[in-house]
Amino acid sequence: MATAVPAEFTHAARRRVWSPVPVAAALAVTAAAASLGLALAAGSPDPVQVFLMEWVAVPYVTAGVIAWWRRPASRLGPLMVAGGLASAFSGWQLAASAGPYTFGAAFDIVPAALFLHVCLAFPDGRLRSRFEGVLVGVAYTSAVGLQLVKLALGGVDSANLVDVWRQPDLVAMVEDVQLLSLSACCLVGLGVLARRRRTLGLPRRRSIAFVIDSFAIALVMIAALFVMAAFDVPGFREVQRVTLLVVGLSPIAFLLGLLDARLARSAVGDLIVELGNEPGPQDLRDALAHALRDPSLTLAYWLPNFQTYVDVNGRPVRLPDDDTRTATLIDRDGEHVAALVHDPALDDEHQLLEGVGAAAGMSLENARLQAELRARVEELRGSRARVIDAGQKERQLLERDLHDGAQQRLIALSLRLSLLKKRLPYEPEVRQELDAARSEIALSLGELRDVARGIHPAVLSGHGLTVAVESLAAHAPLPVRLVICVEDRLSERVEVAAYYVVSESLANVAKHAHASEARVSLERRGDYLVVEIVDDGDGGADTERGSGLRGLADRVEALGGRLRVWTPLGGGTRVQAEIPCA
Amino acid sequence: MRVAIAEDSVLLREGLARLLGESGFEVVAQVEDAEELLLKVRSYRPDVAIVDIRLPPTHNDEGLRAALEIREKHPSVAVLVLSQYVELGLALKLLADSAEGVGYLLKDRISDVGEFLAAVTRVANGGSALDPIIVSTLLSRQRADDPLARLTPREREVLELMASGSSNQGIADRLVITLRAVEKYVSSIFGKLGLPSTGNESRRVLAVLTFLRS
Repeated sequence: MATAVPAEFTHAARRRVWSPVPVAAALAVTAAAASLGLALAAGSPDPVQVFLMEWVAVPYVTAGVIAWWRRPASRLGPLMVAGGLASAFSGWQLAASAGPYTFGAAFDIVPAALFLHVCLAFPDGRLRSRFEGVLVGVAYTSAVGLQLVKLALGGVDSANLVDVWRQPDLVAMVEDVQLLSLSACCLVGLGVLARRRRTLGLPRRRSIAFVIDSFAIALVMIAALFVMAAFDVPGFREVQRVTLLVVGLSPIAFLLGLLDARLARSAVGDLIVELGNEPGPQDLRDALAHALRDPSLTLAYWLPNFQTYVDVNGRPVRLPDDDTRTATLIDRDGEHVAALVHDPALDDEHQLLEGVGAAAGMSLENARLQAELRARVEELRGSRARVIDAGQKERQLLERDLHDGAQQRLIALSLRLSLLKKRLPYEPEVRQELDAARSEIALSLGELRDVARGIHPAVLSGHGLTVAVESLAAHAPLPVRLVICVEDRLSERVEVAAYYVVSESLANVAKHAHASEARVSLERRGDYLVVEIVDDGDGGADTERGSGLRGLADRVEALGGRLRVWTPLGGGTRVQAEIPCA
Repeated sequence: MRVAIAEDSVLLREGLARLLGESGFEVVAQVEDAEELLLKVRSYRPDVAIVDIRLPPTHNDEGLRAALEIREKHPSVAVLVLSQYVELGLALKLLADSAEGVGYLLKDRISDVGEFLAAVTRVANGGSALDPIIVSTLLSRQRADDPLARLTPREREVLELMASGSSNQGIADRLVITLRAVEKYVSSIFGKLGLPSTGNESRRVLAVLTFLRS
């Protein structure tokens, strides 16, 4: 997880490592110039060969110096400078005198090993695994160690200074081992690169893929070249020239990549302009995604009171804890504000992330406050729904108690009285008393039924909204046309809310509207249940007092829905509830 | 006449069994849940099953579902559903295909012993019994251009009894008029409401119900 680093630290770091860069650059230029001078002094017959030596050395040193300067913390810069330097030194073997020749010949193969190292260490200068370390180690041993052995055994062409035991046959054998082992190292390195390229994140800049491709081509060419050399395949010289040409191209691709990153940083400037327009939370995300060139960017705002991250809508989110996403934390005035959740490819763009984070700090703080507000609203809505749910549960239990208890007992009692009456000898007075008691019970049962039904419509939980609304329509004192386009059962709270909307509205129609007809429709529209009750009555209903509409609105709004009423004077009344039921 | 009773309240179940037993019915099964009812119906084939609409375990619609299943699997067994509340939606569900051998009554009706026993007998014999509340609720609605308004008070009474499932003889007994007079009223009612006349009393119930509902 990357944390925004205060700017003064990076400046300090940059000052500290300034010094070796010009020294390295000067050294490399000197070495290259020397190789050129030595070759010319020796009257080298092949100017193309001389040119190609410099063609590799100069771009590597240049790219290395720039990389060293731009990203002092990365070891890639020094590594590239070393590669250029080694290449320049290897040019010294074109010299006529034994001293420079021996020195140059010792570096003959080293650039290949350094190049493999650069390939694998790109882009942050570190090798990623022990395996890569071993691979590079083998390459260095082969390039340096076996080269020295070769020289000690008398070398290949000319005489050298460390020639202690001349053994031409042995030299040829050692050289074969050296070339083939390096060729194998390059091919394995190629495999590593191919795997890495496949796992590149989506917004990983084209330039990085481009650099890796150029590395890969060069590695193939080097591997092929060494095999050709080992088996004395004709055409070696031509392939060698093309290979050097290609190897010299990859630092150019690398420089283009740096330029690309630099362009990305200029996006921070655009971002500041865009943020000046005070974008909304969604536009803010888009602007940041644009500046970071990561369309998958998401923002997570930190709410200290809730001890959680939330999204734009105030809903809790978790920061990623795997490798597929990275979170960069943004602080402002010492307080944590938000996290940018982005592609891991942006990890090696610390400066860009810092720049974007710093530029967007205030806007993020604003958006965080909005998200906090939404989270509170969400919490409130949740607690309102819970209160209504709890009330509903209570009502359901109460109705169940009445149904299973008092109502059953009264019916059984009434039945017992009837049986008693049947057995009784003909005694009109007693029978009359019994009948009176029974009608008392019947009255109580009727009242109890109305109460229980008002508390909770049992038919709703048992048989669903459609049957319950059919019953409501049947009990209504005026004709009700039903249009029900709901097939499945919905969640209980949705059904209950819809039921109360219909029952309350029909009761209002019966009481106040003087209507001759009403229409009730239930319809699924996307993720919403739309309940509509229309009458042809007087209209002009009082939506605030007495009508129970406020309570209905509470119920519907607690579920995240909306209740609307149109009631023009003389134009009937239309009540519409939209209840989310996804 | 053989009866099965499914009712989870012990008081009521025993009371029902006693009432039916004393009135000459043979109670072949007394059960407290739907599963057991279906089992007993399969083995004893009663003439009629009296089913509480709310049965364990959830007390939601187990009873109604059992009733519908009996209707489907054992057409020879009539079903009389008892309910604490009268829900038109449920009555219509129960009577979806035919009203033959189907009843839907409020539990309160049990204590009106004579009426209740008559309803049980009627349903067991393939007739219908629909709670008067359903009928009166449907009749009490105001309608624009109401054909019911053209009925005489006597015709209205006959319509109510007819819709509850009473036979012509039953209506005649109840209103203390001749069978012949009932038949005259019935054909007059069907004429005024524009319904095709039918001799079958259960089909008559369905036709009237459909008319009242519309």
